Amino acid sequence: MGWTADADRRWMPVAGLALAGLLIAATGPALAQSAPIRDYAEPALIDSRLAVWVAAQLHLDFAAFVLAVPMFALAIEVFGWRMARRDPAGAARYDWMAHEMARLLPAAYSLTAISGAFLGMLLFSAYPRLMAYMTETFGPTFVIYPMFFVAETIFLYLWYYTWNRLQGNRKWVHIVLGLLLNIFGTIVMFIANAWATFMMTPGGVDEAGALISLYDAVWNPGWMPLNVHRLIANITFGALLCAAYAAYRFLSARTEAERALYDWMGYTGNLIALFTMLFLPFAGYYFGFELFAYSATYGVTLMGGVLSWLFIIQAIVIAILFIGAAYYAWLGLLRIPGSEPQRRMVPVFNVALIAGFMVWATPHSMAASIEESTGQFHPLLGALGLMAPKMIAVTLILVVLYVSYLLYRRAGKVPVVPWARTGTQVEWALIALMALIILGLGIYGYFAPADIRIKTSIWQILVLIGGIVITFGIDLALLKGAETRAAVRWGTMPRRGQYILILLAFVIVWLMGLMGYARSGARLNWHVFGLIEDTSVSAGLPTLGEAAIVVTAITLIFFVLLGIAFAISALSGRDTLPEFGDEAREAAA
Amino acid sequence: MSNKPGTAGRNWLPLPVGSALIIIVAFILLKSVRPVIPHSVILLYMGFIVLGVVIHITLEDTRIRRFWDFFLAQPGEGGVLKVQRLAMLALLPLVAGWWAYDSVRPTYAPPVEIFQRHPTVGEATLAQIVVPPWALVPANWRDSDIAAGKVLYVANCAICHGDKLDGAGSAAPGFRYPIRPANFRDAGTIAQLTLPYVYWRLTIGGLQNQFNSAMPRWVAAPGDANASSLHSNDFTSDEAWQVILYLYRETGYTPRAE
Ligand code: HEC
Repeated sequence: MGWTADADRRWMPVAGLALAGLLIAATGPALAQSAPIRDYAEPALIDSRLAVWVAAQLHLDFAAFVLAVPMFALAIEVFGWRMARRDPAGAARYDWMAHEMARLLPAAYSLTAISGAFLGMLLFSAYPRLMAYMTETFGPTFVIYPMFFVAETIFLYLWYYTWNRLQGNRKWVHIVLGLLLNIFGTIVMFIANAWATFMMTPGGVDEAGALISLYDAVWNPGWMPLNVHRLIANITFGALLCAAYAAYRFLSARTEAERALYDWMGYTGNLIALFTMLFLPFAGYYFGFELFAYSATYGVTLMGGVLSWLFIIQAIVIAILFIGAAYYAWLGLLRIPGSEPQRRMVPVFNVALIAGFMVWATPHSMAASIEESTGQFHPLLGALGLMAPKMIAVTLILVVLYVSYLLYRRAGKVPVVPWARTGTQVEWALIALMALIILGLGIYGYFAPADIRIKTSIWQILVLIGGIVITFGIDLALLKGAETRAAVRWGTMPRRGQYILILLAFVIVWLMGLMGYARSGARLNWHVFGLIEDTSVSAGLPTLGEAAIVVTAITLIFFVLLGIAFAISALSGRDTLPEFGDEAREAAA
Repeated sequence: MSNKPGTAGRNWLPLPVGSALIIIVAFILLKSVRPVIPHSVILLYMGFIVLGVVIHITLEDTRIRRFWDFFLAQPGEGGVLKVQRLAMLALLPLVAGWWAYDSVRPTYAPPVEIFQRHPTVGEATLAQIVVPPWALVPANWRDSDIAAGKVLYVANCAICHGDKLDGAGSAAPGFRYPIRPANFRDAGTIAQLTLPYVYWRLTIGGLQNQFNSAMPRWVAAPGDANASSLHSNDFTSDEAWQVILYLYRETGYTPRAE
């Protein structure tokens, strides 16, 4: 019930249609090409590039959220649905969590549409010549896009608002609705990605920019890499925002039951984010690789030139993300009574993690004042800033995170298999061996020539993966049928853990803004790389400081808007909460 | 910081003092490394260390309590503890004061500059650079060109970039850190670059408002107002290509494909 939900329902599609109308209204004249087109205008009264930057990033943030949440929420919903027969209580809880994650969607969706409308309006009015060219090239997609957008809108509302009605026997209908929503949402993003990547790595056009093949313009060299990268990053992003939402609800919860559920939801969100985050570097390399292959200028700009400093900032921010997530996981041990033996290990991990990230974030060449000049690369830092020590650091950090997870599994449990003692010893010896081999390979690679170094770093990763597979197998066998001395007590997580989740959400939004700037800024003085030059007054890149300020401002605006969405969704009242029984807790852990 | 629970704030080295000691010792160690570690990097490291200490303290509720209890006087406590508490209470404002002083104190150092390994150049500029056919394919490079390149290198470049192309020429130590003549044997320099880029770098690039290269240019671009180059031994474009081929052949790298 609740009036806001109904109000949402009414004005949401209106916003979607308004966007479609705007796009068509704006593209119409451009298609007709009646009057000579101006190059630039300043409709927003501020620097147009700044206006477009803010609108585009906000739109991207909301769109990422709206796209990602239905993906893992649907996965959780299906998971709950599958276990309905075995464990109805557990199934109800999973269903509740999926619904709870989806709760922010209607409001966030409206913000996606509004920011998208702003972006479209700004682009067409501030960059008439560019947008006329884009319209000429991508005309048909500009017509298809709103159609898929409307389809996404319809299925989003159907999926969300039929949740309680389509339960039980009709649950599969609901799942199908969610599936369609995800398909349409993904198509919408892929279409928009085609425009964005065409501007970076144009394809399907001749040297003067005239369209030869729309297919190649859409499937330009950067398209698939960006699709993959954005799909994964969106999930990290959406999961961390859901975790932050859960943290907020935990902090404002009035009952034990509520606290337990939101604690569990925050934990799940953080877990999804951590897991997907592990794949992001590879997706990033894939994207970067295609960019470099397209033009060496990208390689120079991003890795050695102006924008290379963004990657150092990125390294530090990623360190904060991982340290925060690890801290949250360690605090999670407090939920498990009798976890003292595990907790005693944590200070060691803490030292290892901090030391690892200090190496990881060491810049190879750094900003130094003249008083600090030595006339050469710093012998110590120059050595730490190299590839080999960083690879050691990163792989050992992953070992630490993995071992933290093993401890979490072990906490509060007593193995019953007869070989438990030797098994544990073997397991730990293997992990120590794995760490040693990784270290040894790294040291060997450090002194070896570059081509061998690349091979040793691949071996380090293989050793890591192999070690994890073997030891986890042992761990599974070891804890088979283990006696649970104390189950996870959801809801007993200290409040500071919840604040960490909120911090992580802030950090990921900021990071996404920063790397969004890197992606867009890498084009330098081109609207469409190599084809349409940016001849406006603001063609140059801002300084790193200016860029960081804009990104921070965007992040703040995003959270203010999202906060409003939170507040609206809270107005619609609280659902009845599912039970958090003992056997259910067990399953959740 | 290996305090046992139950002895809250009563042992010889209470938690806050131990934490402060770790931070201070780390700072002194970092500061005493020679050659000096740049301030920005020390700041980065200290940030991580402080973070680690905060994480350690806040991981357990008992530890947080022990931390704060230290600042409350207990009846019958020893003098050692009292001295430590007073020292800690004095330390915080002192550090804050020193920090404030340090950030406003006048200094004569020029502002910190960010070093770019490869300055950015527009695609359009690079597109104007035509690689001569004889320099295009590494397999077809003529030994005579490489030999000519070697002569030019030894005469013009070795003083900075070193006889062994390792960036350790006799003039190299005179450069202001972190800028240093490139070490061509490092995988991060010419191995990453395309032929037109290296040519641009040698002949046009460098001394421009965006990027104050410490390396002189080797050809004056026609019609360039800055044409009075810093030196007298300009190359013809063929000579520039010969040096570049020598760089690659001698280090065993091949230019990055375009
Ligand atoms: C006065 C010292 C000096 C001399 C002489 C000199 N260089 Fe350099 N060179 C530098 C410095 C310093 C850098 C790197 C930083 C910069 O550009 O400021 C550099 C960078 C380069 C780079 C760029 C490498 C990269 O990774 O981007 C190339 C190529 C290069 N030099 C080639 C040459 C050649 C060829 C010669 C001889 C014709 C030469 N240099 C002579 C000082 C010198």
